[in-house]
This record gives sequence, C-alpha cells and structure tokens, in this order.
Amino acid sequence: MTPAQVPVAVWLLFAAPISAILFGFFVMRPLKPEWTHWPILASCAVVVAAAFSLTARVLGGRSFDVNLYRWAATNGWAVDAGIRIDGVGMAVLSMVALVGSLIHVYAAAYMRGEKGFSRFFLVFHLFFLAMIGLLTANNYVQLYLFWELVGVSSYLLIGYWFHKESARKAALKAILVNRVGDFGFLLALLYILATFKVSHFHLIYLQVSAGQGLAALPVIGLLLIWAACAKSAQFPLYFWLPDAMEGPTPTSALMHAATMVTAGVFLLVRSWPLIAVVPWLPHLVAGIGAFTALFAGIVACTKKDLKRILAYSTVSHLGLMMLALGLGQVGLAVFHLVVHGFFKAALFLCAGNIGHAIHKPTADVDEVGGWRKAMPVTYGIFLVSSLSLAGIWPLAGFYSKDAILDAARRGGGWIGVASLAIGALSAFYIFRMLFLTFHGDRPEQQQLSHHPHEGTLDFVLPVALLAAGAAFAGLWAPHLETLLVYGWHGLPMGLPNMPGTLNLPGSPIIPRLDWHDALGVGSLMAALGLAGAYYLTMVDQSWDWRWRAASPLLESVFESDFGWKTLMDAIASGTVSFARVVGRTFDKGWWDGLIEGTATASRRGADALAEFSQGRLNDYLWWMAAAAALLLGGALR
Amino acid sequence: MTSLTLLWVLPLAGAAACLLAGRAGRGAAKACALLFSAAFFAVSLAVLAGFLHGESAIVVGGAPWAFGISYRLAADGLSMALITLTSFLTLICVAASWKLDVSAAYWANFLALASALTGVFLARDLFLFYVFWEATLIPMFFIIGLWGSDNRRHAAVKFFLFTFAGSILMLLALLALVAAAHSATGVWTWDLDALKGAPLGAAAPWVFLGLLLGFGVKIPIVPMHTWLPDAHTEAPAAGSVMLAGVMLKMGLYGIIRVALPLFPAYALSWAPWLAGLAAINAVYGALCAMAQTDLKRLVAYSSIAHLGFCVLGVVSLTAQGLTGGSLQMINHGITTGALFLLVGFLYERAHKRGVSDFGGLAARAPWMAFFFGFSIFASVGLPGLNGFVGEFMCLSGIAHSSVPLLGVPFFAVAGVAGVTLAAAYALPAFQAVFWAPEGGASVSDHVTDLDLREKSILWTLCALMLWIGLSPQGWLSVLEPAIRGLVR
Repeated sequence: MTPAQVPVAVWLLFAAPISAILFGFFVMRPLKPEWTHWPILASCAVVVAAAFSLTARVLGGRSFDVNLYRWAATNGWAVDAGIRIDGVGMAVLSMVALVGSLIHVYAAAYMRGEKGFSRFFLVFHLFFLAMIGLLTANNYVQLYLFWELVGVSSYLLIGYWFHKESARKAALKAILVNRVGDFGFLLALLYILATFKVSHFHLIYLQVSAGQGLAALPVIGLLLIWAACAKSAQFPLYFWLPDAMEGPTPTSALMHAATMVTAGVFLLVRSWPLIAVVPWLPHLVAGIGAFTALFAGIVACTKKDLKRILAYSTVSHLGLMMLALGLGQVGLAVFHLVVHGFFKAALFLCAGNIGHAIHKPTADVDEVGGWRKAMPVTYGIFLVSSLSLAGIWPLAGFYSKDAILDAARRGGGWIGVASLAIGALSAFYIFRMLFLTFHGDRPEQQQLSHHPHEGTLDFVLPVALLAAGAAFAGLWAPHLETLLVYGWHGLPMGLPNMPGTLNLPGSPIIPRLDWHDALGVGSLMAALGLAGAYYLTMVDQSWDWRWRAASPLLESVFESDFGWKTLMDAIASGTVSFARVVGRTFDKGWWDGLIEGTATASRRGADALAEFSQGRLNDYLWWMAAAAALLLGGALR
Repeated sequence: MTSLTLLWVLPLAGAAACLLAGRAGRGAAKACALLFSAAFFAVSLAVLAGFLHGESAIVVGGAPWAFGISYRLAADGLSMALITLTSFLTLICVAASWKLDVSAAYWANFLALASALTGVFLARDLFLFYVFWEATLIPMFFIIGLWGSDNRRHAAVKFFLFTFAGSILMLLALLALVAAAHSATGVWTWDLDALKGAPLGAAAPWVFLGLLLGFGVKIPIVPMHTWLPDAHTEAPAAGSVMLAGVMLKMGLYGIIRVALPLFPAYALSWAPWLAGLAAINAVYGALCAMAQTDLKRLVAYSSIAHLGFCVLGVVSLTAQGLTGGSLQMINHGITTGALFLLVGFLYERAHKRGVSDFGGLAARAPWMAFFFGFSIFASVGLPGLNGFVGEFMCLSGIAHSSVPLLGVPFFAVAGVAGVTLAAAYALPAFQAVFWAPEGGASVSDHVTDLDLREKSILWTLCALMLWIGLSPQGWLSVLEPAIRGLVR
C-alpha cells in the first residue's frame, strides 16, 4: 500500500481532531470561548465514525501498515512516520473513540461555565488525539511521541485548577513519575534501534521470529515493562495515579478509562512478541500485575474519597490486565481493557454527578449517604457498572474479569491464591462505596444543607450509554477475537504469523465463559465480597468510622499505602536536596568560589606587582609568555 | 566568492552604518540595525537555499600573504546552518530589543558580533579562524558590561577572562600545530585542509589537548563552566540569546571542524573520556539547574546540560550522533533563545527574575504562559518538538557507537537520566511562575501579557520548534554531508 491508497478514514482520524483544536484555539477561543466544544464534539463524531469504519475494515481482513514519510535519517539510521491499522490497535481504538467521545459530551455539560472552559476542551481533545496517534503508530519512536503527548496533556489537565496546591503537586507528580518510566522507554528505544536497526513493529517481529537480536531482548523487555509500570500505574510506580484525580472529573474518566493508563498495557501488548520470547519476563509481568491488583484492592477498601476509591480500583484492574498478559492471555488483556473502559468511565462520571450535585469537584463518603432516592438514575447506572466491575454474571465484567481470575487460578501458585482475594476485594470495595453513597444515611455522614438532585439529560445520557457498554460489552468478545486474529495475521507483504503466544495451536484467543461458569469459584468470591460489604455498611453501619477511630495507626498505614508513598516522597525530596547540595553548596559555593577566589587573590597580587611594574597588562603578558613557553616546549620537544 | 565575503562584511558594514546613523538619532540607528540584520538574514537564507538543492561546499581561496596565512573561506551545510542561525537570531534580537531605549552602540555591537561569528563559521584558515574567534569576545564584552543588569561589570570581566584564557590555550595549540607541521614538512601553512594528516610527532596530543581546552571553555564543559551562569544572567535578554544561541556553539563547531578532523586517531582514543565529561555535563547541569532560584540562571544551567547531549552525540562518531549533535546546536539556539527572551520580557515588566517572585501568571498573561510552556516542553525533549530530535539522535549515536568503550550502557544511561532530570528542573519553575499563587510582594501585578511584536517573535520561534520536531529530515540532509568524513 502506498500513502495515496491510505483510506480516507485514517486521514480523518487525525485531520478532524487537529483541525478542531486549531480552529478552537485560533477562532473560538478569542471570539466565543464558551462554544469551543462545538467543533470538538463534531470532531469526536468524525473520529468515532472513522474508527468504526477502520475496525470494520480490519474485521474484513484488510489491515495494513504503511510508511507515510521519513521522519529522520542519516547514513545507516532511519526512523519513519507511518500508520498501522491492525487488530490490536482497532480493538482498543474502537473503545477509546466511543468512550472518549461520550466523556466529551459529558464534559461539555460538566464544565459549563468554568472559567477555563475553552482551555480545558482544547487540552482534553489533545489528550484524545494523542491516544489515537498512540494506537495507530507503526513504530516505536512514533509510539513514544504520542506516549509523551499523552503525558503532557494529562499534566495540563491534572493541573487544570492550578490555583489549588494539591492540583499542582499532583500534576507535577504525575509527569515526573511518568518521566521516570520514560527513562525506561527511551533507553529501550535506543537499544531497539541499536539491535534491530529499525523501529517498525512488524520488521522487529520478523527479526525476532527469525531468531535475531535475542540477546538484547531481556534488557529491552525489562525497560519496556518499567515504562508500562509508570503509564499503567503498576507497582512500584503506581502512586501518581490516585493523586491524579485532582483534575476535573471528566479528565479522570478519560484518563482512567480510555486515554492514559491503557497506554502501558497497550505498549506491552504491542511488544508481547518480544517479551514472550524471554521465558522469565512473562512471569515478571504476571507477578507485578497480581501483586498490584491485590495491593491496590486492599487499599481501595480503606479510602473515603469516592474518586480515590475508583482510582485504586483502576490500579487494581490494570494489575489484572498485566496478570492476563503475564499468563499469556493477550486476548483477555485486551478484552478486559475494553470492558474496563466502559464500566470505569461510567463509575467516574457517576462520581462526577454526585460532585456536581454538591457543587464540589469530588466527594467523601462522609458527605454523602442515602442518595438512592434523590439520584435514582445515577444510582441505577452506578449499580450496573458496579455489578460489571465485581464480575457478576451476565454483565460484561464477568466475561473479562472472571476469565482472567479463572486463568490465574488454573495457573496456581501464589498468584492463584491472590486471584481469589482480588475477586472478593473488588466486589467489596465497589459495593462498600455503593452502599455508603446510595443506601441509608449514617449518623457520621453530614446532612447537606441543600437537597441533591439529578443533573440534566446531558449529565445522564452519556453515562447511561457507558453503563450499557459495561453491561453488554461482553457480546463484543467474538468480534474482538476476530480482530485480534486478523490483526496479527492479516498484514500484507506476505508476513508470516505473529510470533509469541497468540497463535499457539489450540489455545483460544479469548477463553469463553459459559453461564454455568457463573456458579464457580469466581462468582463465589465476588458474592463473598458483596456480602461482606453489605454487612459492614448496612448491618454494622458505623464500622467504617469505628475502625478508623479505634486504630489511627492502621489508618495511617493504609493512607500511606503501607509506607510506599512515604518512601517515594523521601526519595523525591532527597533528590531535590541532593541537587541543592550540588548546585548551591558545591557549584556556586565551593567551585565557583574557588575560581573567583583565585581571581581575587591574583588581582591583589597583581595590584602589589603593579607598584613595581607598569600595570596589570604586563602581568598577563608574563603569564602568557610563561604558558606559551611551557606548551611550545612540550610540543617541540 | 563574493557571496561568502559578503556574509561577514554585510553585518560589519551594518555595525558601522548603525554608528553613523546614531548621529542622526537613536531611532535611525535602530532602523538601520533592522535593515541590515534583515538583509543579512536574507543573504544567508539565499546561500543556505543552495545547500537544500544539493550543493555541498563553496570555497573561497586566496594566495598566502605571510607565514602561510591566507584568506580562505568555505561554507558547507554545517557552516551555513549555523550562519543562518546567527543571522536569524540577530534579527530576532533586534526585534526583541525594539522597545529598549539604547544608544547606537548597542545595535552596532550586535551586528559586529554577528559578523565575527559568521567569520568563525566560514574561516578555513586557522589564523583567520582565531582572529574571528577573538573578535567575538569584544562586542559580547560590551553587550554584557554596558547593557547588562546589576552585576554586569563583574560578569563581563569574568566572561572575558575565562574565555580569553581558553582562547589563549587555543592560540598556543594552533601555534604549536603550525610550528610542528612546519618542522615536519618545511612549509608554513595555516590552511586547515592542508594541515590534515600533517605528521606532528610528539606535539600531537598537546595540540589536541590545547584545542579541546580552548573549545571546552566555550561549550562549556564541566568544570570549566562557571563563567556561563554569571554571563547569561547579567547579560541583557538579547545578549543571552546570542550567547547561548550561537556563542556556545562555537566550541562544538571548533571540535567538529578543527579538532576531530586534524586528529582522527586521538578523537577515537579519547572519545570515552570526552563522552564521560559530556555525560557529567548532562547530569550535573540538570542537577545544578534544579537548585536555581533565578530563572535566567536556571536556563543557563539547562544550556550546560543540553550542550552535554551535543558533545555526547559528536564524540560517538556515528552519522546519527554527529548529525544529531549538529542539529541540536540549531535546536538549542531556537529553544533557549525563546526561553531567554521570555525571561527578558518578564524582567522588562517586573524587574525581577526570581522563580518565587512571580505567581499565577497563567491567568494574568496567558500568552506568556503558553509560549513559556511550549518552549519548556521543547527544551525538555518532548517528541514532536525540536529538542527531542537532536537529543534522541545524539543518544542513539552513543548507543550505536562502534568506538571502543562507548558501547557500554553507562553513557546512554547517563544521557537518558539527564533527559529525565530535565523535567524535574523545568516544570517546577514553570509551575512556580505561572501556576502557583504569588507570595509576598505582588510583582505579578506589573506583568501585562505579550504585545503583538513579542507574540510574533515567539510564534516564529515556536513554529520552528514544531517544524523541526515533526519533519527534521530537510535539516538533517543539509547537515549530514558536512560531517560525513568524521564517521567511524
């Protein structure tokens, strides 16, 4: 395929958001800032249409990979810019386009009347554009470009309310932790280019499947995993994500569901043919994923802020996707990524509705309770999404999440045990949140001065559609499977099958669960979690406040994520102190001081000499002559 | 022939014209400066355009007149790119200084500086090279010393002594080089191309060392860097732009044009040491920048870090490292130029430069925040903007390098660590100035947003950042032929 044959949909995928952003920036922002969202919403519609038309194309077996132009090249070294429309990319892009656009619609309602409305929308759409680029890049350098753009847009959005100190800190933390992850990505890029001489995915796949460059793969794989740990909020670099809820709620929804955190998982899926070749790397990924899922699941149970509970839940679910990858279930990882996008976006926007009702950016469980009657629609949406998150049959979450836990159980070992706990924990934390927020007022919860109310239709409809996705996205699984099959196989140029785990004979790409699997251990654990949540919030109503009062120490342990956040803060402030020592004490104080001191001393000496000689100039000449003699002597020896 | 001579004579004539016009009034001098810098830019663009269409070199030669000194000029892609950068930034500086009430000498100094810099980038006779090299010091000395801020005289003297000491070392090395070549071949010559491959015997390492020290002060390579923060901080905004934008590149240009071609064997065997120093530059500069409380000092230290990447790329002796290092010189000139201008615009309004003197400017001066953020992200190497291209190619060069010992991961890791740290010094400063609420005295009240002239200047610079970032290939193909001979 030549660039001229690239389908129009691909151009639209980029032209629509870019022109909407430019138009918004240069025309709407100065003239009519409160209308900035109109061209952007139009662009969203175009993007959805383009994404689905390309998805249909890949489903029809016509995926492609084409270079558009040579970005940079010198003798023996080249990086291209191109487009890759394949199954993995489209599987994620179709979800990102749909979920992202619905969140855009919601954001238009949620942010109405905000002071920086047009700034918000422009960056918000840039964020979306960055993710589109990331999913359609055909080589690692281009992927990195959009990866960084995702990071920068998220920085600007998290810091949107920049007059708040917490927002500034969270934004800085997010981008710096991501930079630490990028340290791995950038090094990986350098070694990928050094090893394979190209950066195109399919050319690297080919070389790896031919057995070339294997010696470098452990290091490259490790570096890529490190990068993914930062972007996809995995241990040890997960800790920026819970703070990132400082941005406006639509930002959180977009970031957690569609555009940011999924990038890390996507990077590993893209790189899986490289990683799977090294026997121990998948185990590492599975270990990181299982540990993070368990750890974040526990912490999520102890949080009071609604958005924070959801943030830890995201960390936990991303852990599940990593776990799926590590178990070799690449298809399941992608499937759960898609399903998670729907239910997590819906949950965050429900939290947004609650915040909107009390005119605050976020809410504590201390502030809300018994809102089932006041906000019935939000309640219904939240309930459906929670059931999906908890993995209750027949909602979509059951098919994706339980399949992962099922695979982990069959794998056995500590991960198998952990998977049981993860199943119970996720049901517990989400239903604890649901019961505390929507069911029954507790004496500890404040009575609000005004009555909470449901938002207008534009607050409700996009969320309801997302919840519908959370319920029915499981039906998408067979198509997803087809996409993934074609995605790896359908490349032109006579490429052989994808190396790696996807085409192992006999292993299905997405294992199907039946209704009778709903009677298995997974559902039992979810039911246990749900029942536990019911007991500790509805029967023993004050439990949540009692244990905090009884053991502040325990609460502080949870508050600091078992001390991990404290340690990371110490490392950060240690680096800053070290830089101060280097930059002020050493460089300015000692080194520059020494040099200036010498100058002063020699000037005093020169002043003394000047009494004997004609002046300072003589002095320099002597020095010059002496040095010249020395160097010439050395040279002509 | 005429075109190359015209390139350095034109701005010099402009300087003289400014002084003459100055008698008629300050406005006339200013108009004269604008006219000549624009003409200079146009001529340099016209010559550069030749290189876009496949020309590889223009040489101007003259017969030697005494001691083998001759008037030899030559231009290739690297020279022309740097000369175009010089003329471009001179024009930008004139535009940026438009509102200053300064005497004709101010404009004359900038044009004289441009002339001397152009001469450095054109000269192929080492004596000529040295004369132009020294000639750059004088206008810059006056620019800092006469139009700088409070501590300008100290900074000007420090700048002069430091870089003069470096130049002396370079002169001694050149003298030794010519003398050694004479004793070996019996011919006096200062011709750079004729000296390549001349047998120097035992003098060779000393000459190489002398050249490296002379060039290293200019770049600057840590620990010879302490003149830089003072000079950049005290210089007027436009002076900092020329200083960081072009003058630092002289050192690197000297290494690429003189030191490496003359001593290919030493270039190879000393490369790991140079790479080590460059890696220290990248990390040390970033750490120092993190500790700064003055915006200009912060940008100055970031220059040290950025030039570290360039050196890293150059000493890797790979095509992508050398080309990337050369491109990064241009990139750094544009990006750091924009940052210094912005800090200068802030200073003009508030007469403060401290990071904590400001706050909440994003609400008060959104355009300033936009351009500052844009330039900061270009500076920290956001892909899609120019800084990334150069950095990435330099680091890729180090990772690919076939020079013994350079392939060890240390250099690449240190370089990437420098990239990571860049965000850690740049973004907190950005936040403190534009996001955080201001503390104490409300300096920020004096800050108005950029006017049309200032916005146009910055739009130009930012458009260049984006253009080079998205499509650097055109630039690379201009630069690449110039460094081809150095690739191992």
